[in-house]
Amino acid sequence: MADYSTTLFRRLTWEGTVPLEIRVDSKELPANSNRGLECYYIQAPRVSYLPLIVPEIRQYLMDVVFDEIAAKGLKEEEWWFESEEGTLLKWHWPIGVIYDNHTISTSIRSPPVPSTSSATPMRLILHLAAPPNDKLFLSSTIDSCKQAFMNQLKEADFIRWGNTRRMTSLRMADQDALWEGIREHSFDEYWRVASKLMPSTGPPTRPTSPPVGSSLSRPMSADGNVPDRDGAYSVRSVPVRMYLPDGPVLQELAPPLLEDGIPNTVSQFLSTHLPLLFPPRPPPPPPSRLNPNPQAPQVPELAYALVQGVVSPPDAELAWLGACLAGADGWLNICIGIIRR
Amino acid sequence: MAQAATSPELTPQQGSRNLPSIANANERSDLSEEVLRALETYKKKDSPKVVVRFKGVGNAPIMKQNVYKIVATNRFQAVIQFLRRELGWQKGEPLFLYINSTFSPAPDDTVINLYKSFATEGFLIVNYSTTPAWG
Repeated sequence: MADYSTTLFRRLTWEGTVPLEIRVDSKELPANSNRGLECYYIQAPRVSYLPLIVPEIRQYLMDVVFDEIAAKGLKEEEWWFESEEGTLLKWHWPIGVIYDNHTISTSIRSPPVPSTSSATPMRLILHLAAPPNDKLFLSSTIDSCKQAFMNQLKEADFIRWGNTRRMTSLRMADQDALWEGIREHSFDEYWRVASKLMPSTGPPTRPTSPPVGSSLSRPMSADGNVPDRDGAYSVRSVPVRMYLPDGPVLQELAPPLLEDGIPNTVSQFLSTHLPLLFPPRPPPPPPSRLNPNPQAPQVPELAYALVQGVVSPPDAELAWLGACLAGADGWLNICIGIIRR
Repeated sequence: MAQAATSPELTPQQGSRNLPSIANANERSDLSEEVLRALETYKKKDSPKVVVRFKGVGNAPIMKQNVYKIVATNRFQAVIQFLRRELGWQKGEPLFLYINSTFSPAPDDTVINLYKSFATEGFLIVNYSTTPAWG
């Protein structure tokens, strides 16, 4: 059983939604469409995928916008989305990642949006024909999306544990339940199975610092201080991807603990791999008589880290984020936005 | 998230629920040189090559040469296309690719990302099969 706060954050992550405004490209509207209504608003789950919201959008368009005869000529498998700025939106990216990636890409492009309109939906253009398949990479079918989702879970499993035994030992019905959980947006159905894959949480085990007075040779299990084999701090690496504004997406190994047994944090990880955007803080100068408690020098703040739409505190531990704020595909997605001065 | 922010010094550390870019809404200015240079650096395409080793599975044809150097910033899609060409595969003929006999990466992931996480003894091992093999 996961503890209360783990379940709470997993549920908050699961229930997270983003506002989308979906508009059919006006040049592609079929003849006799009901113009002026070709816009559909949806509050989409972050853990969902574009192919899963297409049926709802189609239903609306068929009922309200498209002329019945003209609609017969439309082929749904040719539909595709792009952002208002012309970025292709991938079928196999979680909607929350598409949204956060859009947020950070906007952070370098336009003048910042006024704070009063920060809940403005992300605007999507729906095209009805000629999908650029070579750039979308995968087809728009729900089955292809499911395959991609399953493979992301396996890839994350491999990064965490060095093998995919947790995934492959699931019964087929359980594997399918993970995807059904996404489709139905059912927290319980998804987590009934996902709890067998995702690491548990608990305090980090620090083998290098045994409790005071204990013998070094004493087995760790004596006082319940067992390193939790399935724990978030026992994984080989947290599955992490870093998204930069307008790309690229970078993947680096992210051990949960540093060499000295201290938990790896967001700021440590980012200043290691993106030092130009997260300059490492140099150590404080040695204490002197005039300055007995020297502070580390300040470094400029150039960028921030967005996880599930939330600005992450620099001290957040990667292991905890990976267990509680990862996407349903098992990945911790960190979107890097630029602070504008 | 839609509260108005008054302090231009507002930073994520101070627990604000605003995004910093929004917090600084009233201070329009261009991105600093420093940031632009950083973004360019991380976008650079002139990356080293990494070594990929192909391994056929089941009935898949065996390649005479199975070790190749591939530009690290290529997407995995390029690896798929390369292999199909090497095998003389026609469009529509099924071919399934896996890393370390476990999973199929997303075609838009880059070779460097996969190499950093999954390389074994200096090789990125790509298994290929004419039928679904793992999962």
